[in-house]
Amino acid sequence: MIDENLVQEVSESLYSAALRRVPPDTVRALEAAREQEELESARATLGLMLRSARLAESKDSFVCSDSGVPTYLVEIGGSARWQGDIKAAITRGFEHLAETISPPLLKHVNNPLTNERGGQGKDMPSISVDLIGNADYIDITCVPKALGSGRWASLTTLISPSLEEIEACVMDAIMQAGSQHCPPVVVGVGIGGNFDLTAKLANRATYREIGSVNPNPVLAAMEERLTEAANATGFGPMGVGGGTTALAVHIDYAFGHGYTPVAVCFNCWINRRAKARLYSDGRVERLF
Amino acid sequence: MAVVYLACPPSPEAVAALAVGDLVYLSGEIVVTGGLPAHKRIFEYLDRGEPLPIAMEGVFIHLPHMVEEQPGSGYLIHYANPTTSRRFDQWMPRLIRAFDLKIVGGKGGLGSEVAEAMAEAGCAYLSLLGGGSPILSEAIKEVLQVEWKDFPPHFRLTRLRVENLGPLTVGIDARGVSRYQALEDDAQQRLPEIMAQLAARREAAQAADGTGN
Repeated sequence: MIDENLVQEVSESLYSAALRRVPPDTVRALEAAREQEELESARATLGLMLRSARLAESKDSFVCSDSGVPTYLVEIGGSARWQGDIKAAITRGFEHLAETISPPLLKHVNNPLTNERGGQGKDMPSISVDLIGNADYIDITCVPKALGSGRWASLTTLISPSLEEIEACVMDAIMQAGSQHCPPVVVGVGIGGNFDLTAKLANRATYREIGSVNPNPVLAAMEERLTEAANATGFGPMGVGGGTTALAVHIDYAFGHGYTPVAVCFNCWINRRAKARLYSDGRVERLF
Repeated sequence: MAVVYLACPPSPEAVAALAVGDLVYLSGEIVVTGGLPAHKRIFEYLDRGEPLPIAMEGVFIHLPHMVEEQPGSGYLIHYANPTTSRRFDQWMPRLIRAFDLKIVGGKGGLGSEVAEAMAEAGCAYLSLLGGGSPILSEAIKEVLQVEWKDFPPHFRLTRLRVENLGPLTVGIDARGVSRYQALEDDAQQRLPEIMAQLAARREAAQAADGTGN
């Protein structure tokens, strides 16, 4: 049985892990980018990123000083056996971590109505829930969202757009972000759905493993050409020039209704995210 | 791409010799903050004609940091990492002129109005690695002074002693030549070509899948 204690423990450790390590797929992508990058200074910056990732791992320290806002995605399988207040358990996991973590977290959260700063805010951590078929487990993904993974996101509503118009919309967002979001980034794109679903598709697309192939051939081809186009902009690692601005572009889509929202969001080069699978028998498997 | 070891406070000549793309290691005393409230308070001091509680010695970096006071034994630095400098565009020209800054830094660059003020003052911008906390924190050897403790740690005004903080990339040089502006202009100029390439790839894919999608 999955109980509150287990969920609390896992939620706490996922956030801590997300802050302290660059996920393996991202390390591999940075290594590959360093091999391919033609500009010497950009290669040096990519090398520095890899060094920072190694150092964080060996010293168990934070990669970035901004712990952002923790977001949790809870995906519940239909055959999972669980009991208790999962939402409260996740919140307790985060709160316990915030109180006890070493080194301490900086208080980056503010009240948008007063701009007052603190370590907590209304509805924090952000928790979203999905149902995933008949699986015998619950997946929990933790993604800390700071400036490079939040500030430059956009959502535009188009009317029955062509692929050309959709791609122009993605390129607009990439040009807007420019040098600012700690590139090379993962670009997440959501096409269709309605407002909240579109944003969700884009956000979830950034969770996907870098190097994985989109099962939809139209989107797979679109991802490939948009990655090329993003890298042709030349903003480069840390926005100081080079041929590596995006590690990947990941796209998902949903139903349309004449009007088609297109959402674009980014995850900075650290691509912070950590995921665990909680089985009904209490086993826990770390997925990344 | 020269590698330059710069002692702080740096001489105007040493800063003038920096070129965009050079890699810099800073050693000596630097003043840092990560917060808008600190910038607002600096302006209040300037408006009143009052000296800051910390001496600005030519180097001012947007570097949020976690420093803890250790009773009886000074301060402990846990970590530090740059923040997006363009958030401070509206504050920087006056700051640069008022304190005759020679080095500013952070990540993501500063806007063109700031670059103009930098050219007047002979000031260069250094890009620090975002997500470089383990590397940058190691270079911080001592926390010399912390002011405005009513702010959270990363918003305070803090004087640090650093040794070989870097490598930092020169993003804007002391003549106001900005790598960021150049990249943005270049990307805008090449955008039609990038979009044409995208269109060619799209048409080829659509022809191949035969769906017109």
